[in-house]
Amino acid sequence: MEDFSHTKNVEQPVPTPANFAVLNNNQMTSYAKETFEFMKLALEQANDALANLEVPVGCVFVEDGEVIASGRNRTTETRNATRHAEMEAIDFLVQQWQKNGLSPLEVSERFSKCTLYVTCEPCIMCAAALSYLGIKEAYYGCANDKFGGCGSVLSLHTSNSNLPTSELASSKKGFKCTGGIMASEAVSLLRSFYEQGNPNAPKPHRPLKQHV
Amino acid sequence: MENTESVLPQVCKIIHIPEKPSFLPHLQPTVNMLASVIEPKDANTLVRKLNKIAPLENLQHVKRVQKKSIDGGKPQLSLLLCMIVGNDCGDDCMPYEILELVKSFQLSTFITKVCKYAATSKEEWDEQCKLWPTSYHPPTYNISGITGFSEEESQSVFSFMRHTINLATSSIGQVVNAAVIVDPSTKQVIASACDQVISSVSLANGVSKDGSCSNYLENLKASNLENQQTSLLDGSISACVHPWQWALRSSGCWHPLRHAAIVAIEYSAARDLQLFPDHKALSPLKRQKIEESGFHSNGHSYQSLRPYLCTGYDIYLAWEPCAMCAMALVHQRVRRIFFCSPNSSAGALGSVHRLQGERSLNHHYAVFRVILPEKVFRNKVVDGKTSGSG
Repeated sequence: MEDFSHTKNVEQPVPTPANFAVLNNNQMTSYAKETFEFMKLALEQANDALANLEVPVGCVFVEDGEVIASGRNRTTETRNATRHAEMEAIDFLVQQWQKNGLSPLEVSERFSKCTLYVTCEPCIMCAAALSYLGIKEAYYGCANDKFGGCGSVLSLHTSNSNLPTSELASSKKGFKCTGGIMASEAVSLLRSFYEQGNPNAPKPHRPLKQHV
Repeated sequence: MENTESVLPQVCKIIHIPEKPSFLPHLQPTVNMLASVIEPKDANTLVRKLNKIAPLENLQHVKRVQKKSIDGGKPQLSLLLCMIVGNDCGDDCMPYEILELVKSFQLSTFITKVCKYAATSKEEWDEQCKLWPTSYHPPTYNISGITGFSEEESQSVFSFMRHTINLATSSIGQVVNAAVIVDPSTKQVIASACDQVISSVSLANGVSKDGSCSNYLENLKASNLENQQTSLLDGSISACVHPWQWALRSSGCWHPLRHAAIVAIEYSAARDLQLFPDHKALSPLKRQKIEESGFHSNGHSYQSLRPYLCTGYDIYLAWEPCAMCAMALVHQRVRRIFFCSPNSSAGALGSVHRLQGERSLNHHYAVFRVILPEKVFRNKVVDGKTSGSG
C-alpha cells in the first residue's frame, strides 16, 4: 500500500512562502510548546495505526488551541488506499459540522481557522485536499520524498493566485506549511512498521530483508 | 498532439498522454557538444579515456561514436568529447584533460547538436539520429494501449466512455464528473460514481429547501461564461474543475472532497470487502508460511484471485482528474486512465500537473484522452439544459 520506506528525517523545516526564519535543530525549541504537544497527539494516533497493522501516520486538527478531530491511516482495514489520516479526520469534521447544521460557507470558514499536525508530510492527494478546504496552516514530521505534496514532489500548499479578486473567495488560497517537527519519532514508527513487513502489500519482487 | 482539437472531431480517437510534454519529432530540444573526427585505430582508447574524464551523465541515450560512410563507402568515425560550457568555443572552454587528449591525438574539434532527452517513439528516434546517433528503448513497462489499440479494444473503450458521459450528463440534470472503474479482462464494471460534492440525492429529489442550490449553479454558470472553452462539456460543475468552489453551494447533503473518482474508489473497496470478506491482514510469520507453501493451501486459494486494490483495472472519467483524484488513483493502483475533456484549471494529468511523469511515485498508470464526436455530448448537454454557452 503506501510505501513510506523512503521517508526522510527532516532536519530543517521546509521553507514555505510565508516562512518565518528557517530554524536549525538547536533552535527548534523556539517553536511554541504547544506545537510539540499537538504533534505528540498526532504521534499517538500513528501509534494506534501501528498497533492495528496500518501504516503508522496520524494527525490532529486544531482550532483555537483545541483539538477538534484526529485521524490515522485506515487503508488496510478499508482496502481503500485513500483512507489516509488526514482524510479520516476531515470526514469526521465535515460530518460533525453538517450534523450541527453548518452551511458550506460556514464550514469553509471553520476550516480556514484550522491547523493540522501530521506525523508525515501530506501526500499529493492530501495536500490537494487541504488546499481545496483552505486550512490555515500545517505542521508535519518527516518529509515524504516520493509522494509529498508540500514541497517534496509538488508544492500544492503554495498559492499562485492570479485570479481576479471577485473569484478569490472561492479560489485557491494556499496554506503555511512547516516540516521537521519531531521527525525522528515519526520515522522510527514507520521504520518499525516496515521492519515487521507491510501485511497488505503485494508479494515483494525481492525477499524482505531478514533482521536477526 | 494533445492540443490540436480546435476543429470539432468527426471520429472517435484515443490519444496517449505521455509522461512528458511531447515535442514534434523535428523540434526536440538539443544541446551543443564538442566532437572530433578520429582515426578508427584510436577509437577504443579514446572512448575509454573519455568515459572516465567526461562521462555523458545526463545524456545516457546519446552514443559516443558516430559512424558515417563518406564517398567511396569509406567509414569515418566521429567522437563526442564533452559538453560545451558557455558560448566561447576556443580552447579555454574545454576541460584540461580534454585539451590534453586533443593535443596528443591531434584532433580537430567541431561543434555538433545532440538531442537532450531520450526518444519516446520511433519517430522521435529517427529525427534524433539525423543530428547524432542515440539509442532508443521502447517503454520497459508494458501497459497495453500505449503502442496502440486493436479495433475491438477501441470499440470497448469508446463504449465505456459513452457510458461515463451518460452518467456525467444525466445523473442530476447537470454536467458533473463521472467515474467508472472497469476490469478490462472481463469488461465488467467494478464501480461507478458521480461527484457527490453536491448531493445528487438532494437535487434529484428536490430536497433542496430554499432553492439555494440553483443559486450556486447560477454562480458557476456565470463563472464558466467568463472563460468559455469550446469544450464538449461546457457548463459543467465538475468538482475536479472547480475544486476550490465547493463553499458556494449551500444546502442538502454535501462533502467538499467527494469527487467522482474518490467515491468510485470507495465503492470498489467496499465491493472488495463484500466479495472477499474473510481476507484478514496476516501476521508476517503466517504470511511467510503461506508463501513458502505455494500460496494455495486450504482456505487461502482465492486470496491470490483477489485483486490487490485496483491493480489491472481501468478508470473512465468525463474530465481530466484534479491532483487529489489523480493521486488517489496512484494510491489505488489503477492501471489505465481514460478521460474525455481536459481540465485546464486544475487537471493533474497533463494540463496543470503531470502525475504520470513523476518518477518518484511508486506506481504509474498510462493516461489516454478519448475523443468522441461532438454531437454525442451536444445533445446530452442540451437535454440537461446546462449548456451555458450554447
